[in-house]
Amino acid sequence: MERLVLTFNKQIINRYSFNKDNLTIGRKPENDVQIDNLAVSGHHARIDRTGNDFILTDLQSTNGTFVNHKQIVSHTLKHGDNIQIGKHVLLFLASEKQEAGAEEPAKEPDLDKTMILDTAKQRELLAKQGKPGTAVPAASEKTGVLSALGGSNLGEIELTKKLTRIGKADTSEIRLSGMMMGATVATISKRPSGYTIASTGGRTKIKVNGKVIHESAPLKDFDTIEIGSHKFQFYQKESK
Amino acid sequence: MGIALVKSAGLTDVGLKREGNEDSFSIDERLNLYIVADGMGGHLAGEVASRTAVDLINKSYRKWKSSETSEEAIFGWPDASLSRNGNYILGGIQLANKVIHEMATYHKEYKGMGTTIAVLAIIPGLVISANAGDSPIYMIRNGRIEKISKDHNFVAEQVEMGLMTEEEAAESPMKHVLTKNLGSYEDLDPDIFEIEPANNDRFILCSDGLTDLVTDDEILQMVEGEKEPEVLCRNFIDLALKRGGHDNTTVVTVSLSGTGKPKTGPIRKIGALLADISTAMRKK
Repeated sequence: MERLVLTFNKQIINRYSFNKDNLTIGRKPENDVQIDNLAVSGHHARIDRTGNDFILTDLQSTNGTFVNHKQIVSHTLKHGDNIQIGKHVLLFLASEKQEAGAEEPAKEPDLDKTMILDTAKQRELLAKQGKPGTAVPAASEKTGVLSALGGSNLGEIELTKKLTRIGKADTSEIRLSGMMMGATVATISKRPSGYTIASTGGRTKIKVNGKVIHESAPLKDFDTIEIGSHKFQFYQKESK
Repeated sequence: MGIALVKSAGLTDVGLKREGNEDSFSIDERLNLYIVADGMGGHLAGEVASRTAVDLINKSYRKWKSSETSEEAIFGWPDASLSRNGNYILGGIQLANKVIHEMATYHKEYKGMGTTIAVLAIIPGLVISANAGDSPIYMIRNGRIEKISKDHNFVAEQVEMGLMTEEEAAESPMKHVLTKNLGSYEDLDPDIFEIEPANNDRFILCSDGLTDLVTDDEILQMVEGEKEPEVLCRNFIDLALKRGGHDNTTVVTVSLSGTGKPKTGPIRKIGALLADISTAMRKK
């Protein structure tokens, strides 16, 4: 059966099956797919089955309906289409039969050669390998947070950038004051291996769990970070 | 913060088993943009895909950077977690993906073609690393090697999800199965990282023809043992060939020096001059 997967920020929020001939999308609760967000119109869009096709129609919504980043008025859905409504993305998945029929992989693929994998094949391969959880879980994105300690009024600072500069300079993502504070004293970068703090080599001391950092150090949940007289605790939370 | 001196080189080799070379690369020391792409798809289509990707990313980055185009005006949707230059790279990759996807969709001879991409851009105070597919980017700093790209292949994702151990992954026949590439889908979400540069950083971009045959530790030792980018590239290719050269192999090496402190005009000029003098080996 055809399905819709509702995601926000790459996280799966809900799944819907096409067990009837039309499906409505909007902010109001009477919709089949309800998206509770002000960017979404009360009755935003609908999907109708006509024969084997599924046609998506924008119901003159305020912010529009997009398929694969193109604004549409109506659109015949294909397997793998991304329907963008506000900041939410609905992924359209054709029925298993259609997926399999779409493109037959070679019987004996040359696995030494680089191949391209789509999620349908991925599920198939997962199933063959006897691994649990045939659905492909979305890798959970985590966002680092610096929580100011010791009577500071900085509160919780989310590390929303790939690279966060810390220092006195106006261009710093996190501005810190202090007599000895340099323009940019440290940076925190989000790397494939996780968050890493690096000292920029100025006179301001950077400590992680009490140890002075001269170059860089990986950050783990609940590490304490001292930047001059400022003290923070680092942790990661699930992105919303 | 200025970049005083960047030295780079690139080299590609068809290997001993393949008939054509589907890898492409580019090095541009003025723009400080370095790219490796590993194409796939028969009858030269792989070469078309990798060359198209390299050219389009180069052109779009140069154009947007020189005109300081706003993030809203570039191709695709900007990512608020990235710097403006990071968004130029993101836009360039998405544009290249779109073009290759359309070529593959509308031309029979290009059906099923795609390419990986590994992009390194260096600007004052920032190193941008972007990739889709399994052509890795390494950073060598203070005697340590760190992969600053993400492998988009089946086994790497299995490991990340905790369904497979590193040991199982190394043995798996599935390690060449890509989950992200340029060309297969209308949309692409590449991984992009932004890191602060440090003095004497060195970077390696390569195709999996190298990393299939040479371990990370070996790459580290070879980088530490050879200062000249051209010689280093040659050493990598020679080692891959010595070990069987089963695939096209491409290596781009980039060395920084003196990135840390703001530089005055004349010094920067000398740096640029020296960068111009250091020649780059081009494909064929």
